[in-house]
Amino acid sequence: MRKAIMLLALAGIGVMLIYAVGEMPPMGDSGNPDKTHVAPRYLEHGEEEAGASNVVTAVILNYRGYDTMGEVAVIFCALCAVVAVLGREKTGLSRTHMDVSRVKASVVVRTTVRFLVPVIIFFAIYIILHGEETPGGGFQGGAIIGASIILFTLAFGLPESTRKIPLKSRVPLESFAVIAFLAAGFTGILFGANFLTYIMPGLSEHAAETIRQVMMMVIEIGIGFAGGIIFTSIMFAMIREDKYELQPDSS
Amino acid sequence: MDWTLNLLLLTLLLATAIAVIRIRDLLAAAIVFSAYSLVMAILWTQLRAPDLALTEAAVGAGVTTVLFIITIYRTVRKED
Amino acid sequence: MNFSRIAHNLNYVFSVVLFLLGLYTIAVKPNLVKKIMGLNIMETSVFLFMVSIGMVGSGNAPVVTEGVKPATMVNPIPQALILTGIVVAVSTTAVALSLCIRIHEHYDSLNAFEILGRDELF
Repeated sequence: MRKAIMLLALAGIGVMLIYAVGEMPPMGDSGNPDKTHVAPRYLEHGEEEAGASNVVTAVILNYRGYDTMGEVAVIFCALCAVVAVLGREKTGLSRTHMDVSRVKASVVVRTTVRFLVPVIIFFAIYIILHGEETPGGGFQGGAIIGASIILFTLAFGLPESTRKIPLKSRVPLESFAVIAFLAAGFTGILFGANFLTYIMPGLSEHAAETIRQVMMMVIEIGIGFAGGIIFTSIMFAMIREDKYELQPDSS
Repeated sequence: MDWTLNLLLLTLLLATAIAVIRIRDLLAAAIVFSAYSLVMAILWTQLRAPDLALTEAAVGAGVTTVLFIITIYRTVRKED
Repeated sequence: MNFSRIAHNLNYVFSVVLFLLGLYTIAVKPNLVKKIMGLNIMETSVFLFMVSIGMVGSGNAPVVTEGVKPATMVNPIPQALILTGIVVAVSTTAVALSLCIRIHEHYDSLNAFEILGRDELF
């Protein structure tokens, strides 16, 4: 019954949406309405106005900086919610299912991961720092850092991972992105411009350009490292299991 | 843009999505979901969005799948 | 209905179908983890739709390089919006999954009807 009603409703929604698709302009045409107003301006002047040849990075950091700042706060709030629901992992005591399993990761897997993880993190740092000229940036590099630490945890287990990246070094890094954004925003106010505006009226052109590059670099590094560490912390919080906490360390 | 490759990738996307919904073993569904994300990452490069391809490959195939697997490990593996 | 246009806008059609599949999963499947997978499929379909709008046939990636005219580049705005969207999607998935873990600890079940204590929603 429920299924039948739902299929009927889905058929209605589907017919309406397909009808709307029939009214859309042909895909891939360079004269479509979305390419006539704002996009040409961003593509033609993005490099000189925002200081980034990668226009996507220019839009994220400069033209729509407020949007990105709110988004960074959303990730931080997600971490807060996960920690509030599940709690942090406890260092030294946590024994999880994944660690007491009889099947240990094989030597091949552990050696491969040990060689791969530094290379992946190096690649992520390149992606973060080079995001203004080539595809890449803070979010991309942060996701890659998080994935590499997850790879390490899957091969070596939670105790080894939390020993390598302890809680007290993660906590200050988690809020780094929001702090970097606020610092960059208030730097603009300090030099007589608006919040999160990168154009400084009171300075010479060269000094303003230098300050803008430094601010963008700080924001990129902040988003990158905070993103990666937040993904790591979310995963650590989810792996932890209370009932194995108090078992004595048998190894 | 190669329209044949585009159509092939879209078909693969639809097939993996249906597989995710139909498979009753949640662990298998999570693995197929990671394949879905990888196909999506290739599709982003076809749509000239390299930034999205990087993020989707790391986040969709890496982080999301591992979060699903951890949840399935701590709860139940079979649906219903 | 304009059928030749629908045939040309294949990406839009497929994103509509994926959206409906995700909505079906959320509404009909009783398992909470399956519902979250459906939610992820829905999100991805909307991402595909928005990036396809900004596509230019035989276009270039929106990175300024010498010898590439801005008119041949794809629209960067949907890509920037979706980039943040993907990261937000992971965050919401993480929160939802951690709630699933707590619900399973409390009710010992992930079946929505068992948790509600009745067979039908309506």
